[in-house]
Amino acid sequence: MSVERIRTAVGHIVLMFGVLVSLFPFYWMVVMASNTTPDIFSYPPKLLIGSHLFENMGKVLDNIDFFGSMLLTLIASLGVTVLVLFFDSLAAFAFAKYEFPGRNLLFGLLLATFMIPAQLSLVPQFVTLAEFGWIGSLKALIIPGAANAFGIFWMRQYAKGAIPDELISAAKVDGAGFFRQYLTVGLPVLRPGLAFLGIFTFINVWNDYLWPLIVMTDPNRLTLQVALDQLNGIYGTDYSMVMAGALMSVIPLIGVFLIGARSFIADLAAGAMKF
Amino acid sequence: MTLSRRHFLAAGSAIAAAGLTGCGSRSSLGGSHELSMWTWVGSVNDDLIGQAEKAIPGYDGMKLAMTRIGSNYKTKVLTALAGKSLVPDIVAINDDVATYFPNADQFYDLNELGAKDLEKDFLPWKWKWGVTPEGKMMAYPMDTGPTALFYRTDIFQKAGVDIDPAAVAGVAPDWDAYIALGKKLKQAVPGSAITDNITSIYGYRMAQQSKRYMTPDGQYLGDQDHVRQAFDLAVRVVKEGLSANAQNSSDKNAVVTNGKLVAFMGAVWWAQLGPKNAAPKTKGLWRVTAAPGGAGNKGGSFLAITKYCKNPKAAFAFISWLESAKNQAQAFLDPVLFPSTPASYTDPKLSAPDPFFGGQKIVDVFAESAKKYPGAYFSPYDTIIDTPISAELVNIEASGKDPDQAWADAQRQVERELTRAGAI
Amino acid sequence: MAVTSKTAPVVTTTTASTAEKPPNKYKQAFPQYAAVSPFFILFAIFGAFPVLFSIWISFHSWDGIGQMKWVGLEQYNYLLSDVTFWKTIGNTMIIWVLSTVPMLLLALVIANALHNATRLRTFYRIAYFIPNVTSVVAITLVFGSIFSNNFGLLNAFLRSIGVGEVQWLTSPWGIKIAIATIVTWRWVGYNAIIYLAGLQAISADVYEAAKVDGASPRQTFWRITVPMMRPVILFTAVTSTIGGLQIFTESRVLFGDTNNIGGPGDAGLTIVSYLYQSAFIKNQFGYGAAIGWALFILIVLFSIINWRLIGGNDDERLTRRAARRVERRIAAQNAKREAADVR
Repeated sequence: MSVERIRTAVGHIVLMFGVLVSLFPFYWMVVMASNTTPDIFSYPPKLLIGSHLFENMGKVLDNIDFFGSMLLTLIASLGVTVLVLFFDSLAAFAFAKYEFPGRNLLFGLLLATFMIPAQLSLVPQFVTLAEFGWIGSLKALIIPGAANAFGIFWMRQYAKGAIPDELISAAKVDGAGFFRQYLTVGLPVLRPGLAFLGIFTFINVWNDYLWPLIVMTDPNRLTLQVALDQLNGIYGTDYSMVMAGALMSVIPLIGVFLIGARSFIADLAAGAMKF
Repeated sequence: MTLSRRHFLAAGSAIAAAGLTGCGSRSSLGGSHELSMWTWVGSVNDDLIGQAEKAIPGYDGMKLAMTRIGSNYKTKVLTALAGKSLVPDIVAINDDVATYFPNADQFYDLNELGAKDLEKDFLPWKWKWGVTPEGKMMAYPMDTGPTALFYRTDIFQKAGVDIDPAAVAGVAPDWDAYIALGKKLKQAVPGSAITDNITSIYGYRMAQQSKRYMTPDGQYLGDQDHVRQAFDLAVRVVKEGLSANAQNSSDKNAVVTNGKLVAFMGAVWWAQLGPKNAAPKTKGLWRVTAAPGGAGNKGGSFLAITKYCKNPKAAFAFISWLESAKNQAQAFLDPVLFPSTPASYTDPKLSAPDPFFGGQKIVDVFAESAKKYPGAYFSPYDTIIDTPISAELVNIEASGKDPDQAWADAQRQVERELTRAGAI
Repeated sequence: MAVTSKTAPVVTTTTASTAEKPPNKYKQAFPQYAAVSPFFILFAIFGAFPVLFSIWISFHSWDGIGQMKWVGLEQYNYLLSDVTFWKTIGNTMIIWVLSTVPMLLLALVIANALHNATRLRTFYRIAYFIPNVTSVVAITLVFGSIFSNNFGLLNAFLRSIGVGEVQWLTSPWGIKIAIATIVTWRWVGYNAIIYLAGLQAISADVYEAAKVDGASPRQTFWRITVPMMRPVILFTAVTSTIGGLQIFTESRVLFGDTNNIGGPGDAGLTIVSYLYQSAFIKNQFGYGAAIGWALFILIVLFSIINWRLIGGNDDERLTRRAARRVERRIAAQNAKREAADVR
């Protein structure tokens, strides 16, 4: 039994070491955000948390419209998430639970779009949106991503098993139309799946960088990621302030994640097993 | 069933409407009583901009909305022009103004707005840079970028060098002497560097010459001796171990902050972007003197009014006010921008001693450089040519590439790019 | 609707089985078509059309602002002989290998340890997953300062133990290692969680049997765990391949303040960075579109390789799994109901 116990202990040591590596960059971010720039640039470097954190955070607020960017990012992330949840679950519900002519072909088509890398159409998408007059506006961030193949595929897998056919038949007997069936039968059952897809989508939009970098041309209306990059570009001299900005941009999302972390991780793992 | 159909049609038409209403709109940035302007950090005097943000002097009912952009400024301007909406009314343009000439139709001809009458106030070579070969006045002069040698007196003292500016200029009149001086400094204070990286040496050597990469009639000069010599000089500085190998902006700042960079041949605006910003604690330790190898000009910018501008008259009133001799003199105080209007040179503001430079009147050094600068022709293809050459120089410094190979590779790449661009 | 009406006739056979369908079955299926249409409409506008449009753009020389100039296949011709382009493919592959191999190996080790640990499980999972939800921009800034030549923590450490400094962010390998480290750091936990799910799906009986046969833990791991995890490992390999081919943000943020976003010697320039650089920094929209097509071909190539490796009929597997899930759920529900009844 003692061999077993040693093995457990070794396992925990390995895991704890991994946790340290996982979390160290956050610690280091705090160290740099709470010291002064000359301290960071000097040798030997300061290894402990300093006392300038709030001063550096204040400088971030002075130099970029941090809360404006955060609001913009929040609107874009929530906008995309709500639309994706609605459109994806609706389509998934139809794909999973109804026979209709061309269903398999349409679903195959949808899967085929997985193959197309987003970057392939980076240039023409930009030009298309420029013709629409959308460059620089929130529309450019929200509308193109309002429904996606991954979400529909994932929700369909979920819906297939989760929604009992009998419930749909019962709703049909009651005279409910398709949309009512979706609302009364589909949505309630799909809720856990929606929670996962929602967090997943929200995080992805929040952290997206390449697309907003290109389409959000107005420097006064940048998403948080691009604003952070901008902060680094303008005030690269003030490294501790840049790090304070990085810290401030990371905290809200980690907060959101921690709230739903347990079930999110479980759902992600379950989803991956379905492929 | 009817419920769902109605719902979807509504949703569908909402999306279509959103697409259609925006379709084809061409707009400039900012409200109808605002002139939006983009520039990079450290290119304007903040007090003057503050005034214009309340009301544009000499033009009633308009005010300025200023945005300072950090890195990748040009990318952002060109992307906004390609994006066709939310384009600023006024943009600042760097000394690569000629690269905008192929798209001169995106900007107003400033002569039509009254620039012609003001030409006499400006340095002739500077004025000429903003005019297209077709004679369109596309860009209005802002500052110029005369070059000089910046150095740390504390380190020079440790190496036993006389720190008087005239004496330093005497010790290092040319690049050979400057390299010898660098070696001496490095011996006294190990780790010392006289440039942040290899491309700075190359770029500043090129900035001292009367020709660059092309002749005005389109003949390629980038493979000739004056370029090769600048290239070889940069390599030599690196081989002597006198470069800090700082390739990105935070590293470049770090070597100023941590004192590795003890001397730097730079343009006047570097005073602010370099030591004043990155190493405020070194106040009083810096001096400037005539640069080894003679006078030069690097940087110095322009203002242009885009064709999206909602009120070009007001925009021109603003830029001609901002770049008047009096206001350019003020921009020299902060953030050390050197005027393109010779009338400013006699303004008492310019001859004020600068405490950061130990009370030195740095204007004397830069005015001398500006006056002696020979003036070179910038072609629309200069960026295309410069990019591969600089990239190969970085290869030499960062990964020890053979210089001859690097030169050959750079020339091959330039030829490919110029062929593709239809320049040769 | 345009999409469905065009495609519908092709598949009439698939619905022939439902005998009681009235003749106007398309009309009757309108709600379903409407339900799936948002994706297809958006895809048509923002996916399919741009793809076709990008072929058109790639036949032109265009700075995105002035007039388009027809150049035929010139952009592709240039691409094939473009040293930088081939270099970006090499860089992308090297970074992909440098990140994927340690990432998946470490993930497997961690998943195995997690599987055996009974305590602190939730804590571990969350701690390992946090890097994945952290923004790449912020974390690249942090790693940039760790790897910095002049003030980096890593070099300070190397200096303090007497090893010479390494020019991480200016040397070709240093740059690739730095980028690969960021990718690895962000994705190890994610992959470990997925492996853990795979491990938990392996029946305990198999391990019992191995134990009875006297297999050592190491033998069990390599002979049982790894082979049984094959599908999951392939899934993570596929996703990290697609992700790896599209690396951009790390090098852009590390070197974004210069026009040379790949860093010194273009050592960190990936395919997508090169696309971005060509189109949006050098304003060569036509060339950017051509690089997009090269990327597409690469991804298709890799997808075919992956698909070959996995083999089998995907859809069949999916339906089988789904069926199993339904059974399991029904069984679970029944069990719950029974339990409630007893109470």
